[in-house]
Amino acid sequence: MAESLPATSAGTRPPVPAWLIWPLLGLMATALSLHLLWQASPPADWLSLPARAAHELKAALVFYGLLPRFAVAILAGAALGLAGVLMQRVLRNPIAEPSTLGVAAGAKLALSVGIVLAPGLLAEGRELVAVAGALLTMALVLALSWRRGLDPVTVVISGSLVSMIAGALGAALTLANGEYLMSLMVWGGGELSQQSWQPALGLAWRLALAGFAAFLLLRPLALLGLDDSRAKGLGLAVTATRLGILLLAVWLAASVTAAVGIIGFIGLAAPAFARLAGAHSQRRLLWAAPLLGALLLWLTDSLLLTLAGTDASLPTGAITALFGGPLLLWMLPRLHGANRPHLAGLPPALGRTAHPLRLIVLLVLALITFALIGLMVGQDTAGWNIAGFDALHALLPWRWPRLVSAVAAGAMLAAAGTICQRLTGNPLASPEVLGIGAGAGVGITASLFLLPVATPLSMLGFAAAGAAIALLFMLAVAARSGFGPERLLLAGIATGAFCGAIISAVMASGDFRTFVLLAWLSGDNSAVTPMQAGLSAAVALLLLAPLPLLGRWLELLPLGAPAARASGLPVTRSRLVLVLLAALLTAAGCLTVGPLSLVGLVAPHLARLIGFTRARSQLVAAVLMGAVLMALTDWLSRTLIFPYQIPSGLTASLIGGPYLIWFLTRRRAA
Amino acid sequence: MAAGAGALLASGFTPARAALPARLAAIDWSMLETALALNVPLVAATELKLYRRVVAEPAVPAAVADLGLRGSPNLELLASLAPDLILISPFYERYRPQLERIAAVQSFTVYTPGAPAYENGEAVMRALGDQIGMEREAADYIAATAAEIAAGRNALAGSAAASRPLFAISIGDARHVRIFGSDSNFGAVLERFGLTNAWTGRTRYSAFAPVPIEALAQVPEARLVIIPPVPPDVTRILAGSRVWQTLPAVREGRVHWLEPVDHFGALPAARRFARLLTASLLSAEAHFG
Repeated sequence: MAESLPATSAGTRPPVPAWLIWPLLGLMATALSLHLLWQASPPADWLSLPARAAHELKAALVFYGLLPRFAVAILAGAALGLAGVLMQRVLRNPIAEPSTLGVAAGAKLALSVGIVLAPGLLAEGRELVAVAGALLTMALVLALSWRRGLDPVTVVISGSLVSMIAGALGAALTLANGEYLMSLMVWGGGELSQQSWQPALGLAWRLALAGFAAFLLLRPLALLGLDDSRAKGLGLAVTATRLGILLLAVWLAASVTAAVGIIGFIGLAAPAFARLAGAHSQRRLLWAAPLLGALLLWLTDSLLLTLAGTDASLPTGAITALFGGPLLLWMLPRLHGANRPHLAGLPPALGRTAHPLRLIVLLVLALITFALIGLMVGQDTAGWNIAGFDALHALLPWRWPRLVSAVAAGAMLAAAGTICQRLTGNPLASPEVLGIGAGAGVGITASLFLLPVATPLSMLGFAAAGAAIALLFMLAVAARSGFGPERLLLAGIATGAFCGAIISAVMASGDFRTFVLLAWLSGDNSAVTPMQAGLSAAVALLLLAPLPLLGRWLELLPLGAPAARASGLPVTRSRLVLVLLAALLTAAGCLTVGPLSLVGLVAPHLARLIGFTRARSQLVAAVLMGAVLMALTDWLSRTLIFPYQIPSGLTASLIGGPYLIWFLTRRRAA
Repeated sequence: MAAGAGALLASGFTPARAALPARLAAIDWSMLETALALNVPLVAATELKLYRRVVAEPAVPAAVADLGLRGSPNLELLASLAPDLILISPFYERYRPQLERIAAVQSFTVYTPGAPAYENGEAVMRALGDQIGMEREAADYIAATAAEIAAGRNALAGSAAASRPLFAISIGDARHVRIFGSDSNFGAVLERFGLTNAWTGRTRYSAFAPVPIEALAQVPEARLVIIPPVPPDVTRILAGSRVWQTLPAVREGRVHWLEPVDHFGALPAARRFARLLTASLLSAEAHFG
């Protein structure tokens, strides 16, 4: 494994020591907090606050509201900083932290499920639920990236995929329980306001305990900086120590999520800034990162409080996440990523098919079969039935548009996924990861809040604009690194994180226009009009048509840039064209089935798995496979809980999720 | 009915079928309430499982078909039921092209920023009455609601309950509430009762949402009227909140938990709220002397 920490490559430094900024920021946070405290209560009364808080509301608001809020900001920030450092050390991954690993999203989903399904259980152990969710996600992410030796980029991609699945499930849960919308949303935004000292005290002893344990593990931690074989030589149970430290970090992160919701990217920012400030040794990093984490969150929160007033509801966690995307992008050039050959990283094949044509025909037949089932079989108030000719006449206008749009979206996303996986040589690459879908989401958000009435057409236009802006931004960033595959993926994740933060900040407003956003996020295609369906089919045909011509590029690029260049391939230009195409396919596909469907990930895998190993044939098979998957998904979504309908994108990710787990945890032998 | 048909033509609405009264379907809940209040024969409406639990009134007859989630109404089922007129609100505009393939679609607006929901609810009921030839029923219901509110006002007049300002709130989670402002249904009822709405801050779609619960401390003498539904674990968490415990209204027992009322309902929701609030305030009156 070859990776280095960001600061080591930041060679030359300005003459003024960079760490000087931190005491200044600390002073600023202190001043802001004192100002807020002063506003709430004159200094002469400060000493008597605890006594008066029991019966006097103004004092209670300060003593049980404002003061514990500062404490929670500081403690949660420190806990996330520590969790970030520990995760980064154990996984030897400078961009690991609770939100990039999906741990926070997992904890949040577990809590949402708890609120809806078993409020009684939650009353007993809110934190236990969060920790269980976080551990499950962590295990899943590790399992997903195990085959690539926990390579940093793969780990983060797995984390963002798992976050996506968690997000899809959360969105469906919220849709199905409209009355709790506000609760789930506010809390998703990471709101820090407090009503008692309990959460602060809870976080304090956890942080103290974890900090103590971390210092005890300092020696083993330092050893982990060495490679596994040498550490073993020193008589250390490497795996056990790693696991122990990881558990510690996950527990801390889950506690923070249980207490205040998702606070994005503090765990990424704190250690990165600590290294920049000169904390190079493990010992220094261990105290510097929590310190800076505390300072970052405290400063952000008191700034927001000062600007918006203490009455406003502020999704502090969503605001910190806004900085996360740019931070990731800034760290990109400092991430050591090699343009090494990645062929081993392509999805596995069970062997190369001897009869590709026969298999293609089979796939076409499967598509026709599922399409016919989708058009003819359904439920009505009397139960299941197969529509006869007359009934079909009445039903077709409702069934074909959603079927066609789903199939077109599946085909487009599958093509985009094949391109992404070939381009990056990473089997976890998928259009969902490129961040284009999230960009479309920001566009939809804008159309909902800027226009008096959002029509389907205006939403389409805004979504396309959002996708295009996200794409252009990502391209601009990636261009600076010559479109290296890993950089590109990370740029996508960063863009996605940034757009996602905007969406959750808006969602946290609790405004009920967010329902439309939720419907899109969960991938609801039930209201597609014949016109829209025709349009997506036309766009799909237009974008898919040139793909067979790109077979050679897709065949050569996974061999790595040098090899591809040696074969006379214009590497940068071919990558640019492919990226552009993949982004357009993604944007068009996401418009109908939402950003979370996972079809773009799963379809190329299945195509390879059944024996399509050559680029061109894999592309064709993947497109068919994506179409088949979405035809099936659309039918299931329409019929399973009739008359209620499951959003298709969600059904697709519920099919794709288990597949992912199966695929990535099974033995290497296949 | 003849007069109704005349008004119908006058209003420019041409029914798909000649028979009256029209077969209605409601996608929007405030329109569902409005139609049910007029005793219009409804063929279908959305999310009835949840409606029966959290809106309750007016009750939905068993014969009304459930179209599924408001966010994803089952168009195929709706089409098979062949309604004449589909009632939506601007929030469901994105379904309009599809719905128009089934029947005439009419959008009614109860909730627009800054406009009073109560008056909008009345206007919407009148408009629907005009459209389907039930002007008299609409006028009757509007008058009956006004009369019921006036009766409530008389009952409350001079009672201790009426002497304090009120916060009408819904609880989002342990730390956040929605406070219903002057332009909400609930705010309108408070005003017609001659009560003071303790929340004078800005509103957004009839509720400034969400605000931290300490905002309730701005008017320490106020009563709290909690309008469910609330999240299931909120009561437990409120019990552990020191700020909640210190709120004067909580400390001094001025918290009124009502039965659920549609937070974004139409005139029937206002009427239900008026009845529930009167009963709660008067029973508290009896309770505390």
